[in-house]
Amino acid sequence: MSQSLRPYLQAVRSSLTAALTISNFASQTSERHNCPEVEANSSPEILLNPLHISRNENEKVKIEPSYNSVRISIRIKQADEIEHILVHKFTRFLTQRAESFFILRRKPVEGYDISFLITNFHTEKMLTHKLIDFVIEFMEEVDKEISEMKLFLNARARFVAESFLTPFD
Amino acid sequence: MGKFLESPIAIDRTKLIRAVTATSPAPPPPMTITGRPHKATHLHCVPSIVLPVMLLLDYQNALIQSLLTERFSGATPTSIDQVVSDFDGVTFHLSTPESKTKILISINVKCYKELVQYGAQEVLEREYGPYIVSPEPGYDFSVQVDLENLPAEEEARNDLIMKFALLKRNAMAAPFEKAFDEFNKLAEEASRYTSESAPQGVQEGGEVMAIHYREEEAIYIKANWDRVTVIFSTVFREETDRIFGKVFLQEFVDARRRVLTLQNAPQVLFRSDPPLELANVPGLSATGGEVSYVTFVLFPRHLTPHRRYENISHIQTFRDYFHYHIKASKVCSFSRSYLDYYKELITKHVLQAYIHTRMRKRTADFLQVLNRARPENEERERKTASGRTFRVQG
Repeated sequence: MSQSLRPYLQAVRSSLTAALTISNFASQTSERHNCPEVEANSSPEILLNPLHISRNENEKVKIEPSYNSVRISIRIKQADEIEHILVHKFTRFLTQRAESFFILRRKPVEGYDISFLITNFHTEKMLTHKLIDFVIEFMEEVDKEISEMKLFLNARARFVAESFLTPFD
Repeated sequence: MGKFLESPIAIDRTKLIRAVTATSPAPPPPMTITGRPHKATHLHCVPSIVLPVMLLLDYQNALIQSLLTERFSGATPTSIDQVVSDFDGVTFHLSTPESKTKILISINVKCYKELVQYGAQEVLEREYGPYIVSPEPGYDFSVQVDLENLPAEEEARNDLIMKFALLKRNAMAAPFEKAFDEFNKLAEEASRYTSESAPQGVQEGGEVMAIHYREEEAIYIKANWDRVTVIFSTVFREETDRIFGKVFLQEFVDARRRVLTLQNAPQVLFRSDPPLELANVPGLSATGGEVSYVTFVLFPRHLTPHRRYENISHIQTFRDYFHYHIKASKVCSFSRSYLDYYKELITKHVLQAYIHTRMRKRTADFLQVLNRARPENEERERKTASGRTFRVQG
């Protein structure tokens, strides 16, 4: 892990730990409803101030806490158009499998590549600190994965080009 | 990765070969294709690509080759009626219209008119002389082979099979051959002048020959006194393809500089606006957009008589080879349905395949991490030694 990544992830971890103190809260606007307030956006007093943590202009995290739910949006590093395509494809691949990921949001918040929504029901059933571990590990791994895919692409292209040109000799 | 790449392609191929053998064996069952001559079976040729040999595409059509090999081996003659597709929208029709022993092979090429203009007729006459018959309606060129009149030696028969399987290659070779001849002439002329005193014509080289071999894509060939330039225009419909294409083409450009053993390979250039050689060709939009131009500069060493045949065959496969590998690495990245295989033959899908398998694996890893957050032992039933269960009193 690079030196600048460590404090970035540490900041995300502590902010998430603080934000994930959530508990059950029934809707104030409609009877017998209980929905994530950060999504419903129906009563402003339930929402807390969103937190932005940026490593640089390309890599940032937005944490939107509320009384009973937290939304985490991540912008993954994309230095050039190849990485952009790879990130797009990868996040699309993940969101298509959102069902099995419980906390994954099907659509990212605008300006970000992928979003998670953690509600009080998730924290009741699962271990909060492990959920945070997951988010942190995801951020760590996804960068690694994208750059590996890019390397592979280049290596493959090189190999293909060389084998086409060899028979000309 | 190797395993994944190998499987879909290998399976497709064996299936198709089996399909061929299934349609042609000796006693025709009641449902053979002979009964309905207008509804010919539609099969695609699949080049022999099985890792690690799969890298380069074959020049010949595998389906024609296997079909003729079987017919020529002395099996009982049967009726054949098959339409075979090849790369670049080329279709073949193999049939036995007169008698079961006379196989008619017809080819339909999109740009046949242009090819004739550049001497395709002469090249094909040279290659197929006695076998040529008048073209079947709807096709551009036909050859007929009589099974009762085959050469006696095994080797000569195999050569004949190969010759027919290379029908597309030979038809497309005409403009290349013309350019190579023109190069020889210009080189000879140029050797009589110094660079200053050469007349205009020798310096500038021959005219640009355009072959519109696909809907929106073309090959341009131009001979000069010191080189032959072959330019492929290629279209990328999708953003992903465009970017992947750029990565691949950049490697084609750099390969010569980087690898010592490739110093003698043709120079490759790549740009998204028409190169200067095409300045006088009408109908090319100046703005790049989806079209890219790949230029191969063939030097005299590639144009010598004994390298010529091989190099013409090889450069023809560039477009299909290139697109095939882009798709391949995608499968390695993002998958598509296998139906696409049949649509665009194998030209698509190898990179895509790999990246897809990768993402699948990574997703599984993430899921595993997430599942760690779920407590494992929620409520397990506990029993005493005598088999009675505890109940939590609630």
